Amino acid sequence: MIDQEPVIGIDLGTTNSVVATIGDGVPRVIPNRSGQLLTPSVVAIAKNGKPLVGGLAKRQSITNAENTVYAAKRLIGRRWGSKEVEDARRVLPYELVAGPDGNDVRVMLGGKPVSVAEISSQVLAELKADAEAWFKRPVTRAVITVPAYFNDGQRQATKDAGRIAGLEVLRIINEPTSAALAYGFGKKLEKKVVVFDLGGGTFDVSVLDIGQSVYDVIAVGGDTYLGGEDFDRRIMDWLTFNFAKENGGVDLRQDKMALQRLRDAAEKAKCELSGTPSADIHLPFLAAAGEGRAALHLTKQLTREKLEELTKDLVERCVAVTEKTLKDAGVRPNQVDEVILVGGMTRMPRVQRAVRDFFGREPSKGVHPDEVVALGAAIQAQALVAPSIQGAEVLLLDVTPQNLGIMVVGGYFQTIIPRNTTVPTNQTHLFTTVQDNQTSVRIAVLQGESDKATDNELLGEFVLAGIRPARRGEVAIEITFDISADGIVGVSARDVDTGQEQSINVTATSGLTEDELKRIIDEHLDDQLEKKQSTADLERSRSRVAAVVAEIEAMVPDVQKALERSRFGRDAVQKAEGVLARARLALDGKDTDELTKVSEALERTLQLFKGLAAAPPEGS
Amino acid sequence: MSGHRHKDHQFNEAALAEPVELDLEQRKTILFSEAGLPTWTHWQVLGLEWNATPEAVRAAYLEQVKIFHPDRYAGKKLGSYRVRLERVFRRLTEAREVLTSEVDRAPYVLATAPALEVTRLEARRLEDERRSVERRGRLARHNPMLARAERITTLMKHGREMMAAGQFDQAANDFQLVASLDPGNTEAGPLAAVARKKGLEARVNECLEKAHAAEAMGSWQGALAAYRAAIEIDPVHIRSMVLASRAALMLGDAGGARGLAEQAIKVQPRSAVAHEALGLALEADGQKGDAKRALERAVEIDPRLDSAKERLKKLRWSFL
Repeated sequence: MIDQEPVIGIDLGTTNSVVATIGDGVPRVIPNRSGQLLTPSVVAIAKNGKPLVGGLAKRQSITNAENTVYAAKRLIGRRWGSKEVEDARRVLPYELVAGPDGNDVRVMLGGKPVSVAEISSQVLAELKADAEAWFKRPVTRAVITVPAYFNDGQRQATKDAGRIAGLEVLRIINEPTSAALAYGFGKKLEKKVVVFDLGGGTFDVSVLDIGQSVYDVIAVGGDTYLGGEDFDRRIMDWLTFNFAKENGGVDLRQDKMALQRLRDAAEKAKCELSGTPSADIHLPFLAAAGEGRAALHLTKQLTREKLEELTKDLVERCVAVTEKTLKDAGVRPNQVDEVILVGGMTRMPRVQRAVRDFFGREPSKGVHPDEVVALGAAIQAQALVAPSIQGAEVLLLDVTPQNLGIMVVGGYFQTIIPRNTTVPTNQTHLFTTVQDNQTSVRIAVLQGESDKATDNELLGEFVLAGIRPARRGEVAIEITFDISADGIVGVSARDVDTGQEQSINVTATSGLTEDELKRIIDEHLDDQLEKKQSTADLERSRSRVAAVVAEIEAMVPDVQKALERSRFGRDAVQKAEGVLARARLALDGKDTDELTKVSEALERTLQLFKGLAAAPPEGS
Repeated sequence: MSGHRHKDHQFNEAALAEPVELDLEQRKTILFSEAGLPTWTHWQVLGLEWNATPEAVRAAYLEQVKIFHPDRYAGKKLGSYRVRLERVFRRLTEAREVLTSEVDRAPYVLATAPALEVTRLEARRLEDERRSVERRGRLARHNPMLARAERITTLMKHGREMMAAGQFDQAANDFQLVASLDPGNTEAGPLAAVARKKGLEARVNECLEKAHAAEAMGSWQGALAAYRAAIEIDPVHIRSMVLASRAALMLGDAGGARGLAEQAIKVQPRSAVAHEALGLALEADGQKGDAKRALERAVEIDPRLDSAKERLKKLRWSFL
């Protein structure tokens, strides 16, 4: 048990991702190889064809907007042609195309269409590698979080992304539930808790009843298209509108590089305004004014009041969703014992005020909004590999976020498993044939809140084939819909009279097919082997550099003593300090070339030191 | 669902022998609970006494899910026990839902009550009802609004009782009072009208009965007086008028008989018997032509009025 392979929890965010684990019984965030706790969820193909992930990808996004993919989470598990995807196409600098079956969304990256699951898998693989560098051993099992309001397709696609990244996904859990888990860790709570999670792209509200280490979710609600990105967009729109007004109608939206700079500036200003009443936005040389004229600069001041005015309706939407969710839970705002704020957007004072006004209490300050979700995922991962270990005996009882049902005559939606049902759960539904000698029936399975089938998300179509020929109404088929603890939907069918299991052909309407997934996983396995190879080289040079650094550091006192007696070489220590600083930086990074160079410089310094320390005192 | 409970249970040997990573006690606990699902009540599933409080239900649920949630055995080989665990877990969840629901709990409590409890509950319900009646009465005495409402309820109740007992005038009185106390009451007005009508009918019938009794004794004088009393009560009561006309005729008062008949015709011009009575009175008075016309009119209105036809035939014969 002691030497069990480590497990990790991953918060795969819209803007940033975080990986965490349990070390010595305490959940903690694993810093990435650059030493940061947050890894930007950005994937790019650099101009030189090199794939980039995380901070490196984000840093070059301005100059390479078309081949830099961010906010992939907003697209994952979405259907081509859906409203969300159409909206995204209008605002994203990178190009989207339909998948081969016309349902799936693909991202054009480096001139090739790539599935969204693959994009997300690269972020996951990066985090996996970070964790492996931290543990200095392989990591294969993880819990990944998704917004509570994610539907089956989005969960399935996230799970696929994990598989492509070479991870065994122990469980997909909901972000707010995960946050509650981290909040309650190590405390003996008997409380009704609301988690208000406003992240980069999604908004979730969950009501939980915590007792005896059981985290019982009563209700969830949310909007998978409401988050920090929308707040940024409002600022961008305001800036582009004013810029056009002041510069004779220059439309910044046509320029992808300008747009990317605007996006960064908007995000920065938004964050600044959480701490200060106003923020200056200064973007020199933002656009060309036309032939022979000087380039145009953007200089603008954004006040907190203006930002609040621009995003008023977004905050109101959050409150409306919260209200509905509490109603579903049968809980009044004043019955809530604790409100936990999660997600970077909850730093906005206006958002905090809205929460305070609604619940009539101060939100809890005890958790770190960016890290808490990953920490909770790590706790759940630990509970799923070693449920009996002291401190890990938490139990999550989550619910299904949306009604699950089927399309019935007239295009109506019939709910089979209502939302907020505790998972795992199942429900059987009896079908009878409607025609004589009917041998197959097509069933559309949907998820959503509308009575009209077409307004809901189509999860898939199931063809029940091989029904025995009989008069209509004589064959009864029992279909069982089940929802796993991951929130993922499964369907099975049985002939009631003969007890015969029926074959079900699933036509996935979005995401990758099983064959495609297998092919991609194989390809990635090859990649990872290569990467492992280079990782091993990197590790070797690293340990050598570290050893030399330690040796030099140990010699410094001797060398200094020797120098006191010498007239020359006074700056040797100073120079050595420079080399050492460079070496420490290189140790944190993962640039093998730089490590080699540093290693050479260190060797030279070492030789010099050895010479100095060994030199006899001058004049003796 | 603790150990001692499954001491006498007949275990499924095949399932018990399944090679899974669960110790014998765990296997027994799971098999025992799964076997109990079809017959146990929600209380029993949660290991609770009947009618345990919602708080106790919740606490028991948390205890039980820690035993029966599949996640508690994550990473272990469970074989058929996975499905068994899920089955028990779902039932526990269902039990919790019902027993903590504001809507579903009360009916379930009643439906699963032990026989002794049913009697006790019924007694308590009756006692509660009696108390609430008493409390309402007490309140009514102190609150003018409630007092009025209380008075209206009493009057309506009394009115209906009187109506049922045949005390129509009393009933009409009650309803009328309600209608004046509460002008918005749509029930009282029509009820008062019905009661009044029934009261009238009852009194008229009383007179008619007296008249019939007098006739049976040959006292036409008494009968006539009774008929007149009926007409007094109900001035449009044609049958009384016609019968009074006949009584007057029997007493030899052709003029009086004619007056009564004409009075009836005035009230109901299309009453065959009234015209017949007029015919008879006129005949007795010697005005045969007019008598004949009156009888003809009676037959015209009601061709089946044989007595009038007979009389008319006689008049024609004597005329010929």
